[in-house]
Amino acid sequence: MNKIIANRRTALKVFGAGTALLAAPYIIRPRPAWAASGVLNVTTYDKFLPQEFLDKFQKDNDIEVRIRLTDDQGKQYNLLTAEGANPSTDIVTVAGHRYSQFIKSNLLQPLDTGKIANWKNLNPAYQDAPWARVDGNLWGLPILAGYEGLARNIDYVPEAPSWEVMFDPQYKGQTSYIVSDFMTIVMQYLGYDGDFVTYVDKPDVAQKATNEARDFLIKHKDMVRKYYDAGSEVQQMFINEDIYLGHSWSGPAAKLIMDGHPIKLSVPKEGTFGFCYTLNVVNNAPNAENAYKLFNAILESPEVGAAMTRQSGYSSTINGVGDVLEERERMASTLPQEEVERIIFFSSVNRDMKNEMIDRATAEVKAA
Amino acid sequence: MSVPKYSTGMAKVVNSSLYQHTLGAAVESRIGRIILLASVPLLWLIMLHVGPIYQMLKISLLSHYPVQPGVESHFTLANYAIFFQESIYFTPLIKSFIFATGATAFTLVVVYPVAYYVAKIVKPQGRSKALLLLLVPFWAGELIRTFSVIMLLANRGAVNVLLREIGLIDRPIPMLYTSFSLGFGLVYLICLYMLLPLYSAIEKIPSPLLDAAADLGAGPFTRFRRIILPLSRDGIVSGCSLVFLTCIGVFATPMLLGGPNTVLFPETISSFFHGASDKWPVGAAFALIMLVTALIAAAIFMRLVGGSKRRAI
Repeated sequence: MNKIIANRRTALKVFGAGTALLAAPYIIRPRPAWAASGVLNVTTYDKFLPQEFLDKFQKDNDIEVRIRLTDDQGKQYNLLTAEGANPSTDIVTVAGHRYSQFIKSNLLQPLDTGKIANWKNLNPAYQDAPWARVDGNLWGLPILAGYEGLARNIDYVPEAPSWEVMFDPQYKGQTSYIVSDFMTIVMQYLGYDGDFVTYVDKPDVAQKATNEARDFLIKHKDMVRKYYDAGSEVQQMFINEDIYLGHSWSGPAAKLIMDGHPIKLSVPKEGTFGFCYTLNVVNNAPNAENAYKLFNAILESPEVGAAMTRQSGYSSTINGVGDVLEERERMASTLPQEEVERIIFFSSVNRDMKNEMIDRATAEVKAA
Repeated sequence: MSVPKYSTGMAKVVNSSLYQHTLGAAVESRIGRIILLASVPLLWLIMLHVGPIYQMLKISLLSHYPVQPGVESHFTLANYAIFFQESIYFTPLIKSFIFATGATAFTLVVVYPVAYYVAKIVKPQGRSKALLLLLVPFWAGELIRTFSVIMLLANRGAVNVLLREIGLIDRPIPMLYTSFSLGFGLVYLICLYMLLPLYSAIEKIPSPLLDAAADLGAGPFTRFRRIILPLSRDGIVSGCSLVFLTCIGVFATPMLLGGPNTVLFPETISSFFHGASDKWPVGAAFALIMLVTALIAAAIFMRLVGGSKRRAI
């Protein structure tokens, strides 16, 4: 190897090149959100906002939409909290039952429906739902609703009237679930309150119920093929026939049904939990006005809601979407009335206690 | 100070007072030039290596982070104490160490013959091509290679389909989401880190030494045990250290290929950052515990296998 001669010229050249290299990311980085005017930064889930709609919105409004994907409410909350008073995103996608956590941390600004001319096109059931109003304000635009269902491959599992089928030895090693979500379902299955609403100021009772669900899951750990995190994972496992049964958010499972896979989604007799995703303007959002323009555009036509349902599998909150969807698409996201009645919307009451106990129990199940 | 001749623009810079009192003064002495040359890599190390670890250390010592309105954060060691008080967190760390050790040993056994073949059996003019062929899969990203393993081992993956087509099985063998799939995927992903140090070490072993040993009656096993193995020890130590340290901290692969019984420590750490509660400081403390224990384990290994002589990874 040639020896480097540390003369003046070499030293200056290397120093100059090195400094330029180190400074390059700062010089060539995209302009920060707070410095750009025709920009809208949106943190949302994969397949929630259709690309065709975004292209049209960008063209019509001369606003560049920058999408940042998330797959978890906790991750989104932590990142937003870390950014504090200088958020790099204008819109986040918060599930209604997580409102209290975001609002308590001063991360969202109240929604001004007066700035959304098409607000009337939102299904009336969502315009002023009890879960949507906190501290006298509305906080987000409801876009997609879903529930936690029992998905099964009907070629192998013809009937699943109860969550009990997830623990049936004949399906050993062929089930999958998100531990933290399924634990609340198991609490319901065991006769407890999986949403912790009745456990306010009763931590001992809540802990006992959580521990029983945890021990039950540990006892039946051999039933599980994989603990998953994202909807795409459970879709992939069903497609590859790695699992025949799974606890799933309705969106990913409904999407599989729409695509023609032999999957059925149901709400077993013990019931389940429902939720609604909303788009929310972040506190101190650098481009809040652009956010309202996007909200208005989303509500402009049922075609937008239909495209969102087709992509994500979740039910749209926009009026008239049912008329636009094809029969197969409509059936994929529709339940019999008796099963709809088994869905209880997640509450935002006692979330801190629930998060604390479920997070810990989840770690214990995984480590067991 | 003598000023070299430059074009007009450059001369302006070189003759300026600012230049002469800063860079100009620095390059006049040998020490100054060395400091100037070292400053960029040092800055790189501080910004991209020391800086993040320092930040993690700082967070690990805080009671709350990110700090929410109305909450005051103070320094505490409680986040570290949690690890030693709760056995549920100790188990994944032990699992990670056992898994990383096993994967390292297996990778060494699999890759050593390959490295030997390329370094000693392939003709010198063909070695570059052989190495290039072995490196081709690594041009794709880690995630793409992980998904290729999924497509290979899934119930409807290539292996099960092939076995079913040739009539060896009626029902698919569940290979994915097991310790096997995780080990297989991990060895495939990290074998490069073992291959290159081993190749480099084996290639330097003088062939006449092996010929002389053979002439003196040493069989293949004796030649391997008495000559090849000791002389490739540097490559083994470097390769094993690299593979072990990579395995212990690997996150995406166990998440995608592992099953319910292969939850490793990085996943436990990530749960503190992704969970609903405010647990970043605990996650940061656990990350540092893993970093320190992994470095201690690697140092012990290097000391035992590498001898008393200091060796660079």
